[in-house]
Amino acid sequence: MRKYAVIYRSVLMENLQYAANIAMGFFAYFVFIFIFIRLWEYIYRTPEEVIAGYTKAQMIWYVMMTEMIWFGSNAGAAARQVTMDIRSGNIAYLMNKPYHYTWYILAKYTGEWSIRLPMYAGLAAVIGAWMVGPVPRFRIVTLPAMILCLILGITINAVFKICISLISFWIEDANPFQWLYDKLILVVGTMFPVEIFPAALQPVFKLTPIYTVCYGPAKLIVDFSADKWVEIVLAQALYLAAGCAFMFLVYRKGVRKLYVNGG
Amino acid sequence: MQAIKVENLSKTFRVKRKEKGMKGSIRAILHPQTEEIRAVERISFEVEEGEMLAFIGPNGAGKSTTIKMLTGILYPDGGKVQVLGIDPTKKRKQLAYRIGTVFGQKEQLWTHLTPYDNFQFFGAIYDIPDGEVQRRIGELAERFELSSFINTPVRNLSLGQRIRCEFAASLIHRPSVLFLDEPTIGLDPVVKESVRSLIRQMNEELHTTVFLTSHDVGDIEKLCSRMIIVNAGKIVLDDSMEHLHRSGSSLENTIMEIYKSEGRTAIS
Repeated sequence: MRKYAVIYRSVLMENLQYAANIAMGFFAYFVFIFIFIRLWEYIYRTPEEVIAGYTKAQMIWYVMMTEMIWFGSNAGAAARQVTMDIRSGNIAYLMNKPYHYTWYILAKYTGEWSIRLPMYAGLAAVIGAWMVGPVPRFRIVTLPAMILCLILGITINAVFKICISLISFWIEDANPFQWLYDKLILVVGTMFPVEIFPAALQPVFKLTPIYTVCYGPAKLIVDFSADKWVEIVLAQALYLAAGCAFMFLVYRKGVRKLYVNGG
Repeated sequence: MQAIKVENLSKTFRVKRKEKGMKGSIRAILHPQTEEIRAVERISFEVEEGEMLAFIGPNGAGKSTTIKMLTGILYPDGGKVQVLGIDPTKKRKQLAYRIGTVFGQKEQLWTHLTPYDNFQFFGAIYDIPDGEVQRRIGELAERFELSSFINTPVRNLSLGQRIRCEFAASLIHRPSVLFLDEPTIGLDPVVKESVRSLIRQMNEELHTTVFLTSHDVGDIEKLCSRMIIVNAGKIVLDDSMEHLHRSGSSLENTIMEIYKSEGRTAIS
């Protein structure tokens, strides 16, 4: 594992130089959150009113957390780099090193979000404290459990994105599939909690990555319970195991089909 | 002992074909057509340990495809490959610990990091203990005269400095076989000469086997003891430099004559 820790550290060192560039995205996050705060303030008649099990503060914090995950983990390694590596043939020059390419990408991706996510978490905390107030029923002792869930969710997201990118071994361009997946997460997963959708759709959403990537971690932050934590972490463990198995399978099959331009 | 053993190695690519213009584009969607291209066709050769071999040919002859099969990047369609007794298709990772590669047209260094950080990175990748990595960095910095820019980000280095660092990075794990794909491309004559002397030094001191592809006759003449010429995926010449020199003609003329007589067929 030492080599992957070194890859992680190298990406961290490289990306620290781009902290100012990452901060440029703060504006988009603020606009997004501002619109949602206004929307929920309009929908909720009183702060105590409960919609789909969420008070107004919980609902706004939920959106802030899912958007924090979205913006904070929206790094290039898992999607753009894998697709580009395969299309350009650059993957050939990364494969002849004694590491597994998919672990290499995961280590790089972790290095990228390790800088982005804390920056967005800080921004979310400032905007939330300023415009919404404290997170309801938040207890500091539950923070490590929430962070574990958050890390698992982001890693599952990366594994799914890598799997989609690996389709580039067979088709010209995996970006349309990447786009569909991103929009599924963004539109269905980040803007509203699963409980808002019709009862018939909720079990379906629970079977998609939305449940483990966005809903689970954000739900625990706004409404933590030990039972819910166990349920979500178990689902994440299953998703991660299945996702990794699929990722290795696709990679192993795909690599045999590798065609490198120029020989 | 043989460092590389290749028997009847073959590789075929399936390439999409499209007629010209918009009509052709639409037809390609409805009736996609592909063409089989034989990049490498039943080639066999051996390379002895410590030998410096030039593996040359016109563009598209199958040189890079062969290197990629020898390093386990591409899977052959047929034939057998053994590099240091290891089958690259089955044990690519195991082989990676024992070979080094320098691709003149591809960077393996992380450009935002310094050469020192890069060497540490590669040391860890090859599972070399920290203390040993430090010792080897010092040794390589001295051998390749890197000390004056070892702490400058790679993106700020000149091409010559960068290539020296690429060599140093590929040697950090002391590979037994070094694959060099056009290592002197784009370099000025002075830097070219310094890179050649580094390769020679490495071969003499570490007994490294060198598998070189290059279009530069100087590289071949000054470094290699044997030359294989491939064209259209087939070996058209396999001879020692000594024998070729005895023929009286210059190496450049000999190569040109062979290229012309073989019709300079390219795969793409």
